[in-house]
Amino acid sequence: MEKRFKEIIAGYCTLSADEITNDMTFRDDLGLSSFDLMTLLGDLEDEFDVEFDLGADEHKLSGIQTVGDAIDFLEDYVN
Amino acid sequence: MTKTIYSLWKTSEENFKDLAAVRWLAGKEICEYSYQQFGEKVSGVRRGLFAQGFAESKIALLGTSSPEWVCAYMGIITGKNTAVPLDAALPPADLIQLIIRSEAEGVFLDPKFAALAAPVREKCPGVKKIWMLSGDEVEGTETLESLEESGKDTEEAPVPEEEDLSMIVFTSGTTGKSKGVMLTQKNLYTNVEAILYKVDPGIVFLSVLPVHHAFCLVMDWLQGFMMGAVVCINDSLLHMVRNMSVFKPDVMLMVPLMIETIYKRIKAAGADTPPEVIAEKVFGGKLKTVFTGGAHLEEFYIDEFEKYGVQVLEGYGMSECSPVISSNRVHDFKKGSIGKPLPGVEISFDNGEILVKSSSVMRGYYHMEEETAETLKDGWLHTGDKGYMDEDGFLFINGRVKNLIILSNGENISPEEIEGKLALNPIISEIVVTGENNALTARIFPEEALTKDMPAEALKSALQKVLDDYNREQPTYRQLSRLVIRENPFIKNSARKILRTEVLRDEPVG
Repeated sequence: MEKRFKEIIAGYCTLSADEITNDMTFRDDLGLSSFDLMTLLGDLEDEFDVEFDLGADEHKLSGIQTVGDAIDFLEDYVN
Repeated sequence: MTKTIYSLWKTSEENFKDLAAVRWLAGKEICEYSYQQFGEKVSGVRRGLFAQGFAESKIALLGTSSPEWVCAYMGIITGKNTAVPLDAALPPADLIQLIIRSEAEGVFLDPKFAALAAPVREKCPGVKKIWMLSGDEVEGTETLESLEESGKDTEEAPVPEEEDLSMIVFTSGTTGKSKGVMLTQKNLYTNVEAILYKVDPGIVFLSVLPVHHAFCLVMDWLQGFMMGAVVCINDSLLHMVRNMSVFKPDVMLMVPLMIETIYKRIKAAGADTPPEVIAEKVFGGKLKTVFTGGAHLEEFYIDEFEKYGVQVLEGYGMSECSPVISSNRVHDFKKGSIGKPLPGVEISFDNGEILVKSSSVMRGYYHMEEETAETLKDGWLHTGDKGYMDEDGFLFINGRVKNLIILSNGENISPEEIEGKLALNPIISEIVVTGENNALTARIFPEEALTKDMPAEALKSALQKVLDDYNREQPTYRQLSRLVIRENPFIKNSARKILRTEVLRDEPVG
């Protein structure tokens, strides 16, 4: 999951999937905007067959800062 | 014909009755209402409100875009009532304040925000009814169906006149309090009429902007209805790109932030992907026109989209002007400009500030006479933007008069509003909020008496906690994502006012 997730993130920044590390922040290190992040979540829904609820999950989603945070969130969701 | 939204809607309902008016997704299924079907729903709300005693009343709408939201909105403004569309992402306490300040007597509530029903009932004594836009009844509320049912035996409700108040839109206030922009029926109608362009009925719009914004309501919905378009609803910002493939729009309204994200999708497809494949996969295959405004867009993106047959047309407006002031047009455009003023819009300049006079300029700010007098002078609206007009009549913007942070999602943030809230915390002596890279930064000089013995890490955590507490209550675009702790107070003028142009000076490195 982590590998595929990083490949998707790579589509939004100038780094390759291999160069993306879990401690990188979406905003400062990868240069993603808030709307990039939203669209990325939409991609994740399609890829991992899950559905996020911006209302119910908002608190958790707004706490996502790093790639590692997002992977943890996604793993919780899928499981 | 009178210039009201009632006459606009009735004309379209008659002319386009069998065409689709609204399309949306229910799960994976595409649903739609024709103009005739949607007209019956709108009429049901209008008559229901009248039957329940709402005439010349303010009615708030709280929710995200849905066929029910738009139906309720049209039901309000095609009658003699006034719609008050609110940003559902605001903290509940702010929403309650706006409902009270607007003197709303009724509230349409999206079931996603059903938890607000109880506090609204308790804290807004002026609210007589709450109608759930869909789903089941919540204690103390009614459903949209029961509202329609109550008006079933009522004759047509009284129709609005041109000078009736159609809508109050709340906008960021530079004095720290948001302002309710009062727009009349004629304000809205003349704006829609002025921005019309020639297309065949049946053209497909995909509406992706927040539905409580004047830009979305006027340019997507009212304009779409006047042209006989089918307006498709984007169910979530997460799904915009997916929904472009689902609904295959011809026209979209976007803020620059969305255009920047789509450009990243194009890049991710790879340089070897043929343009026609990208046009299909990223843009849905039919997209020809994107109208954009609300913030600055780099010309680079206009050139890039052009490669895929998508024309990006920049425009300019503000809620106070219903909202469009100028726009580039399909056959009359200049990149980098915000287009020519719409027909009927007069432009003038005062020390470089753009002034506007037109039949779409607001009546004023609701219950804010002082702010109204500062903005509307001798019939001219002072926009707060600096600009100029070139020899061909195209308008350009080159600065702002007031301290408003414009993010590329089109949201306007009043730094003073946030600073005022955070400055109440005793460990903050001085604070300035700035916007960089589409995010907000809090620059803080701590209160020395309380913090001078604190280790640096403890001070940082204490201040970060203040920001976290604030952020928890705010929609994402209003959150403070960076903290800078100053070692010295900000530079001030002789009146001891912080010089906002100098806030980055004397800042600690790293």
